[in-house]
Amino acid sequence: MTGFAELVAATNFSFLDGASDAGAMVGRAVELGLGGIGIVDRNTVAGVVRAHQALKKARDGLLGMAMPPIDFRLVVGARLVFEDGTPDIVAYPSTRRGWGRLTRLLTVGNRRAEKGGCILGLGDLIAHHADMMLVVMPESSARGAVPVSPLPDGDALPERGERELRTILKAVKRLGPDSIWLGVTMPRGGRDRRRLARLGRIADAAGVPVLATTDALYAYTDDRDLHDVVTCIRERTTIHKAGRLLAANGERHLKPEEEIARLFRDRPDAVAQSARLLSRIAFSLDDLKYEYPHEPIPAGWEAQDWLEHHVWQLALERYDYRVPEKMRALLHEEFALIREREYAYYFLTVHDIVRFARAQDPPILCQGRGSAANSVVCYLLGVTSVDPMKYDLLFSRFVSSERDEPPDIDVDFEHERREEVMQYIYRRYGRDRAAIAATVIHYRPKSTVREVGKALGLTEDVTQRLTSTVWGSFSSRFQEQRFAETGFDVDNPEIARLREMVDRLLEFPRHLSQHVGGFVLTQGRLDEMVPIHNGAMEERTFIEWDKDDIDALGLMKVDILALGMLTCIRKSFDLMRLHGLGDHLLDTIAVAEDPRVYDMLCKGDSIGVFQVESRAQINMLPRLRPRELYDLVVQVAIVRPGPIEGDMVHPYLRRRSGKEVAEYPSPDPKFGPADELKQLLRFTYGVPLFQEQAMKLAIVAAGFTPNEANQLRKSMATFRKVGGMDNFHAKLIGGMVGRGYQAEFAERCFKQIEGFGSYGFPESHALSFARLVYVSSWIKCFHPAVFCCALLNSQPMGFYAPAQLVRDAVEHGVTVLPVDVNASGWDNSLSSPVRGGGPREAGWRGASADVSLAGVTVTGGAFADATFPSGASAAPPLHHPADGPPPRAGEDLRLGFRQVDGFRKDWADEIVRVRTTPFASIEDLARRANLPQRAMNLLADADAFRSVAKERRDALWDVRRTPPKQLALFAAAEVPELGVEPDAHLPAMPLSEQVAADYQTTRLSLKAHPMQFLRARFAAEGILSSAQANATKDGRRAKVAGVVLVRQRPGKGNAIFVTIEDETGITNGLMWARDFEANRRAVMASRLMVLEGVIQRSEEGVTHLMTSRVQDRTEMLRLLSEDHALEPPLARVDEVIRPVLTRSPDARAHHPRATHPRDVRVLPKSRDFH
Amino acid sequence: MRPHLFVGRAETPIAFVETVSGGVRLKALDREAVRAGLQPGLTLADARARVPELEVYEHDAHADHEWLERLADGCQRYTPSVALDEPDGLILDIAGCVHEFEGERRLAADLEERLARRGLLVRHAFGDTPDTARALARYAGAPAPDEKRAVKRLPVAALGLDEDATTALSRAGLKTVGDVMARPLATIAARFGEEAAMMIRRLDGSVKGPIVARRTVAKIGVERRFAEPIARTEYALEMLAELATEAAAQLTDRHEGGRRWEARLFRADGLVQRLRIETGQPTRDVALLMRLFRERIDSLADPLDPGFGYDLVRLDVALAEKLDASQLKLEGGEAQKGEVAQLVDQLGTRLGRARVRRFSARDSHIPEQAELMLPAAEAPAPTPWTAPETGEPPLRPIYLFDPPQPIESMMAEVPDGPPHRFRWRRTVHDVAHSEGPERIAGEWWRRQDIPTRDYYRIEDRRGRRFWIFRHGLYSEMETPRWYLHGVFA
Repeated sequence: MTGFAELVAATNFSFLDGASDAGAMVGRAVELGLGGIGIVDRNTVAGVVRAHQALKKARDGLLGMAMPPIDFRLVVGARLVFEDGTPDIVAYPSTRRGWGRLTRLLTVGNRRAEKGGCILGLGDLIAHHADMMLVVMPESSARGAVPVSPLPDGDALPERGERELRTILKAVKRLGPDSIWLGVTMPRGGRDRRRLARLGRIADAAGVPVLATTDALYAYTDDRDLHDVVTCIRERTTIHKAGRLLAANGERHLKPEEEIARLFRDRPDAVAQSARLLSRIAFSLDDLKYEYPHEPIPAGWEAQDWLEHHVWQLALERYDYRVPEKMRALLHEEFALIREREYAYYFLTVHDIVRFARAQDPPILCQGRGSAANSVVCYLLGVTSVDPMKYDLLFSRFVSSERDEPPDIDVDFEHERREEVMQYIYRRYGRDRAAIAATVIHYRPKSTVREVGKALGLTEDVTQRLTSTVWGSFSSRFQEQRFAETGFDVDNPEIARLREMVDRLLEFPRHLSQHVGGFVLTQGRLDEMVPIHNGAMEERTFIEWDKDDIDALGLMKVDILALGMLTCIRKSFDLMRLHGLGDHLLDTIAVAEDPRVYDMLCKGDSIGVFQVESRAQINMLPRLRPRELYDLVVQVAIVRPGPIEGDMVHPYLRRRSGKEVAEYPSPDPKFGPADELKQLLRFTYGVPLFQEQAMKLAIVAAGFTPNEANQLRKSMATFRKVGGMDNFHAKLIGGMVGRGYQAEFAERCFKQIEGFGSYGFPESHALSFARLVYVSSWIKCFHPAVFCCALLNSQPMGFYAPAQLVRDAVEHGVTVLPVDVNASGWDNSLSSPVRGGGPREAGWRGASADVSLAGVTVTGGAFADATFPSGASAAPPLHHPADGPPPRAGEDLRLGFRQVDGFRKDWADEIVRVRTTPFASIEDLARRANLPQRAMNLLADADAFRSVAKERRDALWDVRRTPPKQLALFAAAEVPELGVEPDAHLPAMPLSEQVAADYQTTRLSLKAHPMQFLRARFAAEGILSSAQANATKDGRRAKVAGVVLVRQRPGKGNAIFVTIEDETGITNGLMWARDFEANRRAVMASRLMVLEGVIQRSEEGVTHLMTSRVQDRTEMLRLLSEDHALEPPLARVDEVIRPVLTRSPDARAHHPRATHPRDVRVLPKSRDFH
Repeated sequence: MRPHLFVGRAETPIAFVETVSGGVRLKALDREAVRAGLQPGLTLADARARVPELEVYEHDAHADHEWLERLADGCQRYTPSVALDEPDGLILDIAGCVHEFEGERRLAADLEERLARRGLLVRHAFGDTPDTARALARYAGAPAPDEKRAVKRLPVAALGLDEDATTALSRAGLKTVGDVMARPLATIAARFGEEAAMMIRRLDGSVKGPIVARRTVAKIGVERRFAEPIARTEYALEMLAELATEAAAQLTDRHEGGRRWEARLFRADGLVQRLRIETGQPTRDVALLMRLFRERIDSLADPLDPGFGYDLVRLDVALAEKLDASQLKLEGGEAQKGEVAQLVDQLGTRLGRARVRRFSARDSHIPEQAELMLPAAEAPAPTPWTAPETGEPPLRPIYLFDPPQPIESMMAEVPDGPPHRFRWRRTVHDVAHSEGPERIAGEWWRRQDIPTRDYYRIEDRRGRRFWIFRHGLYSEMETPRWYLHGVFA
């Protein structure tokens, strides 16, 4: 036995080439008793950390396989594929320095490629070759630039190639005479032995040893079919057409030493060389010592000293030189921990970024969160504003301190200004020291079915039929039922094959993308740690390791995230300052806990408020009845699949309301204090609601080490892990029962932890969010006009469409004025309560304000008395004498041009710029602003010419006549260039049509609600309004009609929530899944629906219509107007229109992926409707 | 579409889809699908979500057009002047044609009945001008006492303006053609252009739009009319040759060559005789064309009968493809290919296209599937034959046994060696030299359990070379069988 090691093995990070993941490769190598394995992917090291981790886990017995022998070695490198025709060269760094050279080499290639790919030439290797072991492969496997031989691998080398190979060997040998090999495979090509002999001769002549290898692309013989499928995906062809693009046989799997020895019986030396090569490599990924950047520290200071000094300074200032004793103790404790873990640089770096944002003019709002963020140090540094003394957050820190992971601080910035912060980081640390982490995009059910289906020759139609039934989020496994649902025969061999292939390809990495905001910063050159890529966005670069890889290697990451609500809050503050409503900061608002704000929330009056505005949250508010900030923390975390599926919501509510006594089971006294669970769960009445609590439960009650608890969480998050799960289950139950807990209780705990694994919400995040909940509620409560205006100006964000936000504002007494060329700017704005619009100004006013519709002839009997009632009942107190400067109720909100679909900011700015005096006519505006015809049409369509005495139809008629381009010529003459025309006597536009047109152009109407025109018809059918329905007795049957606001299918998908709206309010429909199929079409397709069901009212006064039937009445909207397709706007979170993207339940539940971070982090998990 | 994948269902709604930017959308629907609430323009995914059982086919605009053309052909029984109103309308100029049907209503009834037999739903209208007829057929609701009033009641869409102008008029409150007509024409023209004003004039009858002659299918058509019918077929063919020369000249100007040609000989008594030929390559070679026409005539069941003589000869090029000016041949390289093509055309015309075949290389690892006999004229994008390597003996023999011949192998080395001797047709061969294996795995996507083959090139003691293979690895089965697949020359 020579201890053969396979040194050319690819993983699935050789995208669409390798057909096994790193774990399988390592596992199989161990299983075969190989001496080691070398993982090399095509021009990347993206997969090596996984191999490294897999081996570690295997050594810890967590991979469900035989324990690797102690001398089993994993070496990592990259297979360099050159674009210049040079044969592939496998490069293994032999030292840390060599690793740095390799990553720099790959970075050069990556940066050279415009987008994706890695362009290398032999020259690059020569420039970076130091400390590398090189295995020259006889052929190039580059695709595109060099034509691949049409015959299967293992053909005779053409003469030219042979001569070239000699040259290359000679050239490479000069780089390091003792560190080069010629890698030879035995691919069963028909003349392998002659080929081996010939290549052997070439190598011998060049004085280079031959290395035996399989050039493995997969672990097992059986993986050949999957490899063929990925080849088809890569070559964009089908298995039937691929022909010789596929490998002739399935020989590129890992092979045992005996087989290698037999294959290479003519050159036993080649087999022996693998051990020699292995012995030359001293490098392991464990050698990557991470060093934090040193920037934020003044010269002459040590990081820890500077941190302590600075924080003490801040503490003294904040507490006026009398730092409370508790604070002192906390600080000492934290400093000790920071010193021990050498985290000082990390805190200082985050502090530096936050300081930059605050120093801008105007300052960028920001706020930190995350496990490390709830420390006193962060609080004093201003990274967070949640006072840890007040909320007693110690235990959340506990988890992270014992986890062997770098601290975690995410910082949210205003979403419109995050880019400034990111560019600052690049400036400050340089592109060779700062980059964004990668996000590995995996094969998801939909993409997998589509691509595998295509490869297997199924038509787009068939695969689309299959994918259309895959519900987005939870089902990563393709379920049998899904196939049956589509009408396919599950036993059909083609379908069976598709299913099998899909299952195997799922979770394969697909490509690398950049993380939304996770920055990796280093002191030394980052590109000597990991290769850097160009991002898809300009001015962005990212590394090729993702968050888990970074964690595994202990690199520091700061998440620079974008949060729409911060933008909205900042805009609110700006508006308030501008209109004399006070000068506010995040901190000044959040300190005073005003009961009126909580009163508002208890009523479920939270549209637009951060985090608690979804239907589910609105329903929860009156039940939870928040009275202080910590209640909001719970509120944020409780409406999540974790607590819901773990069945924790009801126990919590019962105990909170005192209907049930909180119980804390105790362990056997000999194992621990009786109140160990009470200590852990007392703030949540004994119910674990937060991720941290679940983790800690495993540690405290079942005796897990923090590391094990963390692995438990991770292995639950990433399904498809081999074995493992059962171990944890047994370990947790065993641990708890062993410590004296009831088995049944232990089982329940496991269920809860299971729910949390992927969907729990961490308390450390909920806390920071809760503050924003409070601040946004405060603004909404006291300055509804400001709040609505800022929300509209920060779109897109949040749950609701502008129509719903405006309606909510009106119900809170705000007067909303329409878009007008003489009053609007691009943004929505607040105007002084003195109105200057003139008599035609039809504002939509709340409460007692009447709706003036002067100038509008209302036709049609049923539509005649169209005034808009408003639910003034929900309006909160707008002014309270004790509340500083009296806010002026009824500030007017003037809609801006941004609400007009398709209008552009530069047009709006131009209008404002030339509007020194009011425009007198359309022609006047056209002449002065010189807008393109499209802009003029949009303005007319949006009815924005009212102030120049034009009704929508006249305006439309006139703008069509005004050819703006010719105006300049005539303007010189200062005469109206358009001759007087006979009046066209256009018929007046009926109000219903006005409303329809409003919806079409601005997606909302201030004139009326579409439903009120249809009210008489519905009433005739005995269909109720929302107000009537909400006043109906519990248990009565009812039919309610309304336009659809939002449809959601949360959690397990047992229930479908449909919210409809009419002129009197909203109705919340709830439909069980069993009724859904019969009503599928109506639910999915309607914009106007009639819900039939039974009224159900909860104790807290929340009314639901338990819907059993849905009618699609969308066509009735057409009665309003023939010409304006009235599409009532859906809430932004409607899941039919905007299916929730498929997300993997990632290692951390809040881990963002692909979409807007706000959406990803904040939306409740739910299934999409397709 | 693979119908066998679906569990059988009757009366499934059907939709045709087209791929446009932004996804697959419904293009056309059958009645069931409309009844299920679907509309054209919906994305397929959306439609599927609503009507999961929807059956979907790719929309083929070209086929639709062809179908309309065929209907137009059929309508020529009523009038020679038939215009296409794409994508789904026909305009017939029936002035002076109705006598045969005793009135236009009878004519329409006859037409509707014929089309209904083919499953078509027809709406028709009569008008003084093509535009009014078209507008009325497409947009008229209830019948009106007279045409003028009917036109006025039409919705503005009937003006046939672009979508933007149509909506603008309608939004201005002008909902019918009559509403628009009531406004001064100048104000309309100032907003919607002269085109709009012209349409109004056409619809109110003050201007008569031309009936757009039906676009001929043929790209090029040439004809000769004769004052005196010609009674000799030979003379008619000379005329045809002249026409071919003219057509070839036109094709040359367009850098094209014809592939599908149609000659029509119109007899004075109204009978039309058609001759269609098709070539494998685009061509402008008059001699070739005439040879093909003659062969076609020879192969006719009934010989050409001029009867009272031909008064019109017409030649259409129905399909033309790119063909650049041909190179003058010096050494015949290029021409040879052309000659093969000519041979194929000639043989194909005489023997039937499907019966002239040639070998073509196929892209497959499986030896017996690496070549295929295909109709020669189909001219598939040829897969190049793998060129033999210089200095290397061929990996595979030219001649393969079909099916492979079973042999009895003796003393083969396990797991991957060739036999030391084998028996084929009762003769024992001792293996002197061998090389291999060349391992070719089964095509798993055809059947799960196809054994892997290990091929060996063998030379026996007498210098004969064989290509043998073991059908299956020892790891796949207990006793794999051996076959002789070919002999090297």
